[in-house]
Amino acid sequence: MSSQLNRRTFVSAAASVAGAAAMAPLLSACGGGSHQKTGANTKTGLKAALPAYVPSTAVKPDIPSVSGGGNGAATDPAFLRYPTDQVATVSGVPGKGGSYTAVTPLWGTVPPAGNSFYQAMNKALGVDLAVKPADGNNYNTIVPTMTAARRLPDWIQLPAWWNNAFNTGELAGTQLADLTPYLAGDKVKKYPNLAALPTGAWQTCAWGDKIYGIPCVSTNFSLAGAIFYRRDSLEAKGITADQVKSADDMWNLGKELTDAKRGVWAFDDVWTYLSLFWGVPAQWKLVDGKLVHKYELPEFLEAMDWHYRLAKSGFMHPDALAGNNAGQGTRFYSGKVLIAGGGLGAWNLADYQSGTAADKNYRRGSFNVFAADGKSTPSIFLGPSASMISYLNKRLKPAQIEELLSVANYLAAPYGTREYTMVNYGVEGVHYTMNNGVPTATKEGQKFVQATTYPFLASPTSVISNQGADIVTKDYTAWAAANVKYGYKPLFWNVNISMSQSLATAAAAQSVEDTIKDCYHGKKKVSDVQAAISSWKSSGGDRLTRWMTTNVLDKVGTGQ
Amino acid sequence: MRIRRDKTLLMMTVPSIALLLVFNYAPLFGLATAFQDYDPLIGVWHSQWVGFDQFRQLFHDPQFWDSLKNTIYLSFVQLILFFPIPIVLALLLNTVLSMRVRNFIQSVVYLPHFFSWVLTITIFQQMLGGAGLLNQYLRSHDMSTWDIMTNPHTFALLVTGQAVWKEAGWGIIVFLAALAGINSELYEAAAADGAGRWRRMWHITLPGMRGVIVLMLVLRLGNALSVGFEQFLVQRDAVGHSSADVLDTFSFYYGITTNNYSYGAAAGLFKSVISLLLIWGANKLAHAFGEDGLYRK
Repeated sequence: MSSQLNRRTFVSAAASVAGAAAMAPLLSACGGGSHQKTGANTKTGLKAALPAYVPSTAVKPDIPSVSGGGNGAATDPAFLRYPTDQVATVSGVPGKGGSYTAVTPLWGTVPPAGNSFYQAMNKALGVDLAVKPADGNNYNTIVPTMTAARRLPDWIQLPAWWNNAFNTGELAGTQLADLTPYLAGDKVKKYPNLAALPTGAWQTCAWGDKIYGIPCVSTNFSLAGAIFYRRDSLEAKGITADQVKSADDMWNLGKELTDAKRGVWAFDDVWTYLSLFWGVPAQWKLVDGKLVHKYELPEFLEAMDWHYRLAKSGFMHPDALAGNNAGQGTRFYSGKVLIAGGGLGAWNLADYQSGTAADKNYRRGSFNVFAADGKSTPSIFLGPSASMISYLNKRLKPAQIEELLSVANYLAAPYGTREYTMVNYGVEGVHYTMNNGVPTATKEGQKFVQATTYPFLASPTSVISNQGADIVTKDYTAWAAANVKYGYKPLFWNVNISMSQSLATAAAAQSVEDTIKDCYHGKKKVSDVQAAISSWKSSGGDRLTRWMTTNVLDKVGTGQ
Repeated sequence: MRIRRDKTLLMMTVPSIALLLVFNYAPLFGLATAFQDYDPLIGVWHSQWVGFDQFRQLFHDPQFWDSLKNTIYLSFVQLILFFPIPIVLALLLNTVLSMRVRNFIQSVVYLPHFFSWVLTITIFQQMLGGAGLLNQYLRSHDMSTWDIMTNPHTFALLVTGQAVWKEAGWGIIVFLAALAGINSELYEAAAADGAGRWRRMWHITLPGMRGVIVLMLVLRLGNALSVGFEQFLVQRDAVGHSSADVLDTFSFYYGITTNNYSYGAAAGLFKSVISLLLIWGANKLAHAFGEDGLYRK
């Protein structure tokens, strides 16, 4: 498996969490005893803090980025070959010999401390950086223990979808260092690879009009996810994705593909991503100038109704109806389901390798974004420009912060550069060898080099690269190019919002989310969801809408 | 004087007492958070005190009452259907004369206790799930399928069945120990007086086990509101939250996952108080029937 870093090389678990998180606002809750100012960044305050944007021209992609037109989105550029002539973007060694600790989540096997890759990286970075990857599946429970004890490491990754769990807004300034004095405006030019990160990504790192984080794995085209299908199986039946232009088409396709007697069902779990084709927003929508929560929109209930009927139709795999999402990959590879929702992170080289191991004809495809009614213009909201954000500890002295920012600049070197190769593959001859122009991990590399260890501290903007599986890169980029125009910036896009604990609890709407899940599993009716929504409105939902209107919409604007 | 005499025994209890103090008693201070708007970043000392606010919210929360209702119902079903099974198994096993056969059966029924709930439920899913062996067989023979794993109406029976499969073997240990303590001469004397197998069981075996049965019943009643956690967490999506949520999963989903720790603590404290009353009541009842219960009066 290649270990290119891009948005799509996370393991599926991480990707689906991130994908789902893209649908949530970047919330952080403050407890009752907190003195943290609630609200969001202001336009003018943020403008003064944001780093300047200076795009990198270090490496030329094989498939250039495609702009989405006026929506501000642009697809990630792609590489079919790994650059042979690797340029250097950092001269000398960035560090000055300081000793630091870092914690990042890892969805995989934690390599032993002090291994040859870590040693080589410390030599290249010029610091003694003790990287301690922690189990990604339990990361949301590991970090709060550190913050409660005020024992954060010098450098830590705090994924944005857990801002609420980590109280990131409250940590900013109390336990996390303010990076604005080092990065605001032209100051970032001291770190050219950080300056090449998109402005939207820096916005996700801002709290209280100050920059606290360093965006990792940033992109100008982030979607919550997609509706995937077994392209090989459908094409064998003469079915192509462009034949599906409405929810009715999707229903008929489900009917055609399901053969329960043979153990084949059309659908796995699709609600999270397919519901967006009804025009369901990320969280909020402006209707006649008023802020309306997605739960209160007719399109949300229409989507709910369709999915309830789907659960009852017999076109969904029984294990998907039982909420067994962990087995979705296996069901998809074995052809027991032919259509499944998922984060875009699932569409990569590792998936291709797993799929072809199960079925040599395996080919993943994704349906184009369509409007459920088949008549409206398709649209889908864009996710935040960055969901993986690293922070430095407030305890650090200014000289130490500058040293770590220089290290971050090294780690953020663009794809295919000398630094990128070191960070992602290690030392040639030790951790990888070039095999037909593809960096291929040696046994030592497989053991020690984890694709997300250092890139979760800092990394360049995403690129698409699946060395050894060009078909995946071509399929994905073609799909992205065809769909980028449908993306739109949702309300409060890339806006970090700090709110009180009781409001954050209302925003989480656990009882509504539980009932929604029961509904698309066929256990509860749409009327039950409506009842849960009206109960939620009276117990906090309406208060949340009022607060969002007064403290975010009126003060900050739409963020679009 | 007695301390000096029992010095060795007391020394042996020190590790257990230390464990209890560290893991059972020290965390009790955390109950204070049930009366606060607790913020882990500023700690218990600086969090705002809100009196009984969390409890007021809790008692107005329909999800909480649903969870309590589920807990009591599941506990009742398990008491009726699960509790007697280890006793019956122990009695049956006691009738097996061959030690080899007895040990083999005991090992087999023990084994599932060491499986995790995730594994246990996976096995059930593979066998009885919608796409499991049973339903695929029914489908392939054009018969209608059985919705066993995802039916909220029969969920109580399903979880009790799973509990029996996993824990009944483990539960017989204490009853076998009680059986081993019965004087075998009593059986010989009864047999000499012409008592048959049923008579001997009714007049010797069951009275010999009665103390242990009552003790186990008292302990079970004390734990009536702790019907389980992982078993319900894993199957929550399959049957829906309104059928699968018990007090412990309620605390997890509506307290911990939403960072509303104080709310979760309030729910936990409510459960503890009710459990204390239950165990106290059950113990009183045991004493009223002339049994030892948790301790001899």
